[in-house]
Amino acid sequence: MILEVDKLQIHYSTRSGVARAVDGASFVVPEGRIVGLVGESGCGKTTAVRAIMGVLAENGRQAGGRVVFKGQTMDEATTRRLRWRDIAYVPQSAMSSLDPVYTVGSQLVEVLTKRGTHSRASARARSAELFDLVGLSERRLADYPHQFSGGMRQRAAIAMALALEPSLLLADEPVTALDVIVQRQILDVLRSLQQRLHLSMVLVTHDISVVAYLCDEVVVMYAGQVVESGPVREVLARPRHPYTMGLRNAFPDLLSDALELVPIAGSPPDLSEPLSGCRFVPRCPFAQPACSIDSVVTGSDGHRSACRRDAEADTIRTAALDPRTWQRSSSFAMS
Amino acid sequence: MRLVVERFTHNALALLAVTTILFFMFRLMPGTPLAAFINENLNADQQQAMLEQFGLDKPMWQQYFIYLGNLLRGEMGLSFFQRRPVTTILLEVLPNSVILTLTSLIIAYAFGVLAGAWLAWKRGSWIERVAVPAVLATRAAPEFWIGMVLLALLSFNAGWFPSGGASSPGLAYNNNWQRIFSLDYVHHLALPVLTLALYLQGLPLLLMRSNMLEVMHEEFVTMARMKGLSEWRIVIGHAARNALLPVVTAFALGVGLSMGGNVVIETVFSWPGIGRLLVQAVSAHDYPVAQGAFLMIALVLAVMNFVADLLYMVLDPRVSHGRKG
Amino acid sequence: MAERAEPVPARASWPLLPVLKRMAAMPLKDPFAFAGLVIYLLFVLVAVFADQLAPVDPLEILFTKAGKLAANVPPGVEFPLGTTNLGRDIYAQLVHGTRSALAVGLSAAIIVATVGTIVGLVAGYFGGTADAVLMRIADMALSLPFLPFVIVLTGFLGASTSNIVLAVALLLWPNSARVIRSQVLTLRERAYVEAARVTGASAWRILFVHIAPNILPLSFVYAAIAIGWAIITEASVSFLGFGDSTSVSWGMMLQDAFASQALSRGQYAWFVPPGICIVLVVVAGFFISRGYEEVFMPRLRGR
Repeated sequence: MILEVDKLQIHYSTRSGVARAVDGASFVVPEGRIVGLVGESGCGKTTAVRAIMGVLAENGRQAGGRVVFKGQTMDEATTRRLRWRDIAYVPQSAMSSLDPVYTVGSQLVEVLTKRGTHSRASARARSAELFDLVGLSERRLADYPHQFSGGMRQRAAIAMALALEPSLLLADEPVTALDVIVQRQILDVLRSLQQRLHLSMVLVTHDISVVAYLCDEVVVMYAGQVVESGPVREVLARPRHPYTMGLRNAFPDLLSDALELVPIAGSPPDLSEPLSGCRFVPRCPFAQPACSIDSVVTGSDGHRSACRRDAEADTIRTAALDPRTWQRSSSFAMS
Repeated sequence: MRLVVERFTHNALALLAVTTILFFMFRLMPGTPLAAFINENLNADQQQAMLEQFGLDKPMWQQYFIYLGNLLRGEMGLSFFQRRPVTTILLEVLPNSVILTLTSLIIAYAFGVLAGAWLAWKRGSWIERVAVPAVLATRAAPEFWIGMVLLALLSFNAGWFPSGGASSPGLAYNNNWQRIFSLDYVHHLALPVLTLALYLQGLPLLLMRSNMLEVMHEEFVTMARMKGLSEWRIVIGHAARNALLPVVTAFALGVGLSMGGNVVIETVFSWPGIGRLLVQAVSAHDYPVAQGAFLMIALVLAVMNFVADLLYMVLDPRVSHGRKG
Repeated sequence: MAERAEPVPARASWPLLPVLKRMAAMPLKDPFAFAGLVIYLLFVLVAVFADQLAPVDPLEILFTKAGKLAANVPPGVEFPLGTTNLGRDIYAQLVHGTRSALAVGLSAAIIVATVGTIVGLVAGYFGGTADAVLMRIADMALSLPFLPFVIVLTGFLGASTSNIVLAVALLLWPNSARVIRSQVLTLRERAYVEAARVTGASAWRILFVHIAPNILPLSFVYAAIAIGWAIITEASVSFLGFGDSTSVSWGMMLQDAFASQALSRGQYAWFVPPGICIVLVVVAGFFISRGYEEVFMPRLRGR
């Protein structure tokens, strides 16, 4: 395992109290694999990867749990040492994550010379090489971020992330801001680079079709917790948690025209309220009274689910395929 | 380049509008223009010369073009009282105003930028809670009043600085430059500069502070942090560099604006600059000088507006380097 | 951010009342704005009760009991701030000066807010030629050097308070007009305005019933700023000797003190209090406008 996230707790202090953005989430990233971290917005995915990079907002703090990278427990000092050299980050919006007043090339040179061991001359050569790697002409190194198109900026951001040859890449919604055709291109770039450079990768997305397209493993997060995890094929073919089933219905397939899209009614809970049991209960068409008391994680190491009715997963899955199931608004519908 | 031409035209047209407004203001004032321009202090020849120079017997529109033509040649007539060309008088006092303005602005902006960045750094602390309203108060105080208080304290009470003027009486200099670079001149300059700088520092300070706060939340600053760049590099190289853009523009605008605002400071400290000249000319009804001084201030304002536009273009690649796509 | 800048989305109801309600409630949320309003209120009370607070005529030349001119008397029980070199009661001048300060400030603020709002509404809503012409005029007014223009105008038109107010208003309306115009441009595209247009409401009706009430807080912000500017300008112009010599104002007090060598005599009680009063009124305007901007126009300013 290149990365282990163990019972991670991230708390934000807000005006209305403490929001538990990540509440005991655990998952692992095997060496050389792409792990998709999926869930609706506000489920703590971004918070989790930002916590790994050590750049939480001012009002956020790690309240518990640990992150282990290559056997080392990450604390402030290790995070500072490993940043970008071993763990790099691909942002959602490359536009806002590049400094508008410097050329893209000089920002590459900056990280290569200040964080890497490059001289200015070798940094320039390496920049050209990186641009070539992500399919950009080296002439564009002299351009400013605003002169790039969305897809090119995203390629530049990937080049930036690969600058110091990290072993783990955290990509936060790397294609969300792009149109579908460019999305495909960028995902293909990521996949080919991952294979060529034998990278490990965490891909954060709300779009389960992106997971299906690119990832080896998937971790489904809901309300700051992991509700299901396992190999992508297995989880998407036989989801065991109703939330995963709902997500699967809610997104089009990247490759084929999907069936009817069925959104999950409602929205994730307010995390500053005290919550108990399974957090999906208010939106779950299959919830039973016991579900709100506590939740249990079941399953083999390969495919785990946090649904109390895991034993009935096959029946529930069949029912979940019917769009009418998700129109039921009340809880405890099938109890 | 197209943008430069556009901004130039814009500012030039604004200046033309100001000159036009001024022309009609002076001529449509109560009383006939002849009464305003012809003065018993002038002898018959001078009266005749003035009539011809301004073409006051011609129709208004012709007068207007004669006036514009004269301005373009730098001719603004004779002062009623000093009986010297207005242009000469203006050029005599202009260096004093420029030195006062620039020195104050440089001090104010150097201090304001550093203090503003520091206050942004210290946000949420008690220093910030006290400093921000205090800075607002300096912006709210009339400049001349700050000058009066400083004058009473540091000049009349403590005796550290002279109470007015630009040089001590009795001192002689070979030329103007020698005078300006003398210690005596600097000694006279200190208090007006201090006053003006105290008044001017608020804008860059508050601007820098709010820009810094905004920029520190930008994603590229977080990215710089993720890249593991040093704190110094993040704050200075990325945050401050971006936050500085509007401040630099404000500096250029400030040169133009405070040339006009210096009117009161120059009066408080009897500083022989263009603002005091304007006040004296208006009180004495020396119209050619008043008009000339006003136009000179308006010209500086327009030029500095243009410079601000240019600076903005040079400093922000989003403006200077067009989209390539 | 407690509330967003979203205008009240009510379809049929007039948004004026809810907007007014929020405007009235705002100072309770922002301590600075609250302080600003309290300062304003204090000065208004002083202005209203000036005759009771300072029964002495501020321009009367006073004599001591021995019959000598009461000139340059230091602050004491009889004269809280002392007297001027001509034997006038400084405290009485300060109290009565509040009246002219508020008169100048409020009248300039009303003109600036009214003209700025109407121009901004018309230019923003109708666009086209009206917009182009109005905005060029605004550009022109903004390229005039502020204080020199006021001096020249009052110098030639005559030194009177109304001329100063006129000059200030002439130069300040473009700022508010510009900002209000851009706000109108965004409001114009909102769904409820679109809805009103589709149902056949006339342009003027949409403008004054649906858009204008949402502009109100912005007009208020510019009015608060104009109060301060007008008072400072009046003081500066009075100080330079172009003020109305018949009225008692803080600027005239400062001019009087400066011209009468109060500085070299160290009569701080003469020239410090008027300045502090000006600072207080202007700061109050800053505080109020900051508070309103923060609540109603969070986008307009930085955090």
